[in-house]
Amino acid sequence: MRLSLLLMAFGGSLAQSSVVPSWSVGGVTPDLPFILTALIALRRGPEAGCLVGFAAGLLQDATGGGLLGVQALSRALAGFAMGLLPGRLWVGHPLVQIPGLVLLTVAEGLVRFGLLQLFHFPASIGELLVRVILPQALYNGFLGAACVLAVELAHMLRGRHTWI
Amino acid sequence: MRFRRYALLLAVLLTSLFLLTVQTRGGGPTRAADLVALAITPVQSLLANAHRGALSAWLTFTDWKTVRSENMALRADNERLRVQSLQVRETDQENHRLRRLLALRDRMPLATLTGEIIGREAGGWARSLTVNRGRADGVAQQMPVIVSEGLVGRVAQVRSGASIVQLLNDPTSTVGAVVQRTRTPGLVEGEPGGGVRFKFMARDGAGVAPGDLIVTSGLGTLFPKGIPVGRVTAIEDKGSALFHFAVLAPAVDAARVEEVLLLTGQPAQDVAGLFTPDG
Repeated sequence: MRLSLLLMAFGGSLAQSSVVPSWSVGGVTPDLPFILTALIALRRGPEAGCLVGFAAGLLQDATGGGLLGVQALSRALAGFAMGLLPGRLWVGHPLVQIPGLVLLTVAEGLVRFGLLQLFHFPASIGELLVRVILPQALYNGFLGAACVLAVELAHMLRGRHTWI
Repeated sequence: MRFRRYALLLAVLLTSLFLLTVQTRGGGPTRAADLVALAITPVQSLLANAHRGALSAWLTFTDWKTVRSENMALRADNERLRVQSLQVRETDQENHRLRRLLALRDRMPLATLTGEIIGREAGGWARSLTVNRGRADGVAQQMPVIVSEGLVGRVAQVRSGASIVQLLNDPTSTVGAVVQRTRTPGLVEGEPGGGVRFKFMARDGAGVAPGDLIVTSGLGTLFPKGIPVGRVTAIEDKGSALFHFAVLAPAVDAARVEEVLLLTGQPAQDVAGLFTPDG
């Protein structure tokens, strides 16, 4: 099970650097590993979310050429937090999952910005929020909705019915 | 359970912070990067290769899609251009035919009427063309019908808006003609098989050879003198018979005629010089 989760993280990171750039809309690309992290966290809980987020973030750090550990940390936190939500919100419903994904993307972006600020990241938070974090959060929300619907469809085809 | 969960989170956070710290403070960025590279480089290399492979496959796929759509567009363009080319060629040929016909009409020292072929009869019983000129246009029976290459036939029937032209190779067609070179007279007749023969050529007019041009004789009142009828392709010598017979290749390929001139008047002089070898 853990291997399959790590393979998903690996596959998500691989897709992020190969296929996902072609899904760019107005220069904004979705963050597929992050969406996978969030969905896995909702299904498997905070531990799985944390580990998958850490692995996916580490791979993205490694392939992105930035500081190794920034995305690993922010995504591990985001995956952990997303995994804690099922006990507190009705996260099984897509109408909760999708805004949740948008907000989580924004939160993860802010955490990442905070970490990078420690290492003198030059961009301002306002510009980063408007140009990068919010557009990507919205895109993540839409793509996450599509992923949730695809997962639901797969479950319905298998004769089971669950929102996650 | 809860302790394990937070212990995991703490471990992950510490690992990340350790990595960050090592990179920025622990002996400088170069040493930190070296440490990280030990664990990450093989994975990164694998990832980069997989990335390249996936990207290459993706680009191949998108190229294939582009090429496919371009191919379809080019095929459609090609088809359209071929149709256009055919239309242009058709118009060019028509233009060429009409120019030749117009030139002949201008040269002809008699009144002519242009007509367009609107029907054909090519069965063994009758060989004819239908021209879109009729009684209202002043067409009369027995009018000679010509093109720039020579004689097509004569008007056999006149209707209100069209006329039937009996072709030279109709089995009931007879045209008085002479061998242009030797002036040997005879009759050009159609045959049931579609051929044309020059008959009743007196033996004392021998010397007719394949390639000789046969033109209308002008005897009688139907055809002006000198209109090309055909060329001799073979001589049939019946031995002791009084006459020679020659097989002709008609000057006009009736199957390809599309526009004609109907001669509405009769010239006195020989018109042979008006027909050039190529029409």
